[in-house]
Amino acid sequence: MPDMVSIGQPQQRQFNPYSENGGTILAIAGANFSVIAGDTRQSEGYNIQTRYAPKVFRLTDKAVLAVNGFAADGSMFVKKVKQRLEWYRHAHAKDMPLRAIARLIQTMLYSRRFFPYYVYNILGGIEEDGSGAVYSFDPVGSYERESCRAAGAAQSLVQPFLDNQIYFKNQRPPPGTSNPTHLPLHEVLSLVIDSFTSATERHIEVGDGLEIFVVLAKGSTTQGLENFANVQEMTQTREGERMFNIRRNLKRD
Amino acid sequence: MDHIDMQQIKNGEVNLGTSIMAVQFEGGVVIGADSRTTTGSYIANRVTDKLTFLHDRVYCCRSGSAADTQAIADMGHYYLQMQAQSLGSAPAVLTAASLMEKMCYQNKDQLSAGIIVAGWDESGGPSVYNIPLGGGLFRQPWAIGGSGSTYVYGYCDATYQEGWGRDETINFVKNTLALAMSRDGSSGGCIRMCVITEDKVERLFVPGDELPRFWEGREVLGEAKKPTINRDVVPMAVEV
Amino acid sequence: MATASVYSSPGFDFSNQIRNNFLAEKGLPLPKATSTGTTIVGCLFEGGIILGADTRATEGPIVADKNCEKIHYITESIRCCGAGTAADTEFVTNLISSNMEMHALTHGRKPRVVTAMTMLKQYLFRYQGHVGAALVLGGVDSTGPNLFTIHPHGSTDKLPYVTMGSGSLAAMAVFESGWKTKMSREDALQLVKDAIAAGIFNDLGSGSNIDACIITPNHTEMLRNVEMPNERETKEKSYKFRRGTTEWKSESIRKLIVSEEITPIGGDAMDTS
Repeated sequence: MPDMVSIGQPQQRQFNPYSENGGTILAIAGANFSVIAGDTRQSEGYNIQTRYAPKVFRLTDKAVLAVNGFAADGSMFVKKVKQRLEWYRHAHAKDMPLRAIARLIQTMLYSRRFFPYYVYNILGGIEEDGSGAVYSFDPVGSYERESCRAAGAAQSLVQPFLDNQIYFKNQRPPPGTSNPTHLPLHEVLSLVIDSFTSATERHIEVGDGLEIFVVLAKGSTTQGLENFANVQEMTQTREGERMFNIRRNLKRD
Repeated sequence: MDHIDMQQIKNGEVNLGTSIMAVQFEGGVVIGADSRTTTGSYIANRVTDKLTFLHDRVYCCRSGSAADTQAIADMGHYYLQMQAQSLGSAPAVLTAASLMEKMCYQNKDQLSAGIIVAGWDESGGPSVYNIPLGGGLFRQPWAIGGSGSTYVYGYCDATYQEGWGRDETINFVKNTLALAMSRDGSSGGCIRMCVITEDKVERLFVPGDELPRFWEGREVLGEAKKPTINRDVVPMAVEV
Repeated sequence: MATASVYSSPGFDFSNQIRNNFLAEKGLPLPKATSTGTTIVGCLFEGGIILGADTRATEGPIVADKNCEKIHYITESIRCCGAGTAADTEFVTNLISSNMEMHALTHGRKPRVVTAMTMLKQYLFRYQGHVGAALVLGGVDSTGPNLFTIHPHGSTDKLPYVTMGSGSLAAMAVFESGWKTKMSREDALQLVKDAIAAGIFNDLGSGSNIDACIITPNHTEMLRNVEMPNERETKEKSYKFRRGTTEWKSESIRKLIVSEEITPIGGDAMDTS
């Protein structure tokens, strides 16, 4: 008898502890501010698990962490980072500087080199010198400081847009001028919003809500932030840095 | 033999994980089936008709792949119609059954179909033929098939008796199918039956809330409440 | 298969799969077909049939078309919604539409919905599920309104309300809670719209707008984009590039107008008026 499909052949089955929960995150550094954003949809396959699951978290008054990938690993990782920052605060009576948080995240991720947190991290905030900064990580801890980064489901849609609009890639400046190295805050916020509304149009896993965090350096003005709707200040200490949160709706289809 | 090999059913294929049955009695046959069609765990049709017309007094009960059994039944229907026209008389149940068996056997490596052919004819009177998965033709006084049948072989062996009339046979089929449907997850919904006699084919329908009920256990706290069915339930408002 | 069988394997020849797997390993994956991760529905009412569909077409997680048409023409009074592989649904409905026209011409009368259904199921069964078309077929003929679903392997169901595609569960939930016998045209259209909306908002494979088609014995009304609940809001910024933004390496300017000199030889010039 002709042999039936795959009968008698050994079949390997394995439990897969990871899943992918969609969504996209993005961060842009300015001269004296930093913007960190993420959509709020959490999905698995074709199903929406929730329309509001935050992916961007306040760590200190000058540091914000965005996590994307496997949601369970993401929330656990944020929880552990926050715990380490609290221990630091109790030991040193101050908040951990941004570059130190970045190095901490590297060691925490690498400590799980052979059972990684399936998470892409983007850390945004203000450095000790008052400049806006963005650090991006891979799941096992490789990181670098950049001035702009997108990650997650729609990374391939958003990052080329940012390269063009922030780094002015493939754009020749008008004769006798040069492209700016840093954009003003209102310009950056517009780019962030347009990135997410556009990603929502073309990527099925992006949508529902948009949460943007803005961190301003010591002594800087609000720089037109008051012109945006639904801005909420969430500064907690009196160190000088200020933190704001902006919420917007995205399409729900 | 009647058990359907899940490995063999193509991925994503519509499946009649079924309980089907046919019983012969003096003067006719009673055939019956549940009404559930599934794709994986989703019920694609909850009021399926698995009792399929082959000729005026010959029907079949289908189990296995929906696509395969529908194709076989359509072909059988076509051939029997052609034969009846050329011979000028209604085909015998055996003729129909052999035809179906031939298709099942010759294409066994491409099909997953377990079929029961039953009906009435001039020469042989009422008869039931079982055609299991890879082919083979077996005349039986009663036959059960589909994934649900494994649960009720014992019940049938213990209950069936020769010499029953129409109503006793109907009850036997109804009870057997209800028991099979209660144990088998891929069977369920309502019961469809056909009584095929010389004079006519009579269709019977048992709704899902009027199935025969047997011992179902006792609630842990107090007596089981008598189920009340609220017939004017307002449809839930769907928020979009 | 562990060892080569002495018998030839039945059905299709899959030997190219080894080649394709090899190529995929080398980083040359097979072209992906556009799949209409879809919500399509059909519903019987007092005077006929209503079909409904969303308008999103996807390639994996990317939206390929935000406003595609999934309700296909079979005949004037028979229409078919398609889910699954976009090319297959498009081709199979076109083919059967053509065959139905031929059928009408040879027999001199309107073909029935069961005719289309039988043609479709026999075609799909022949390809054993490799033609990935999941269809909702509906129409009105001499026997009255008819509604069918046809699965890719060629099985069919006849029901008063049906759903298919990745959003079928969301849409069926709406039908199971709201469908009644002998509904009015307005109520049925609202139910179909609600069912499609449930798919659009709860299934990631479905989205954008709602299409509907109302078929009655002597009139077919195609309601393209009856509801548009997902219009894009205006962008924050304009992305118009300044003239001269793109760099260039070399420049060559060529005249595209070809001019030639005409010298009339002898007598009058040709009369071209």
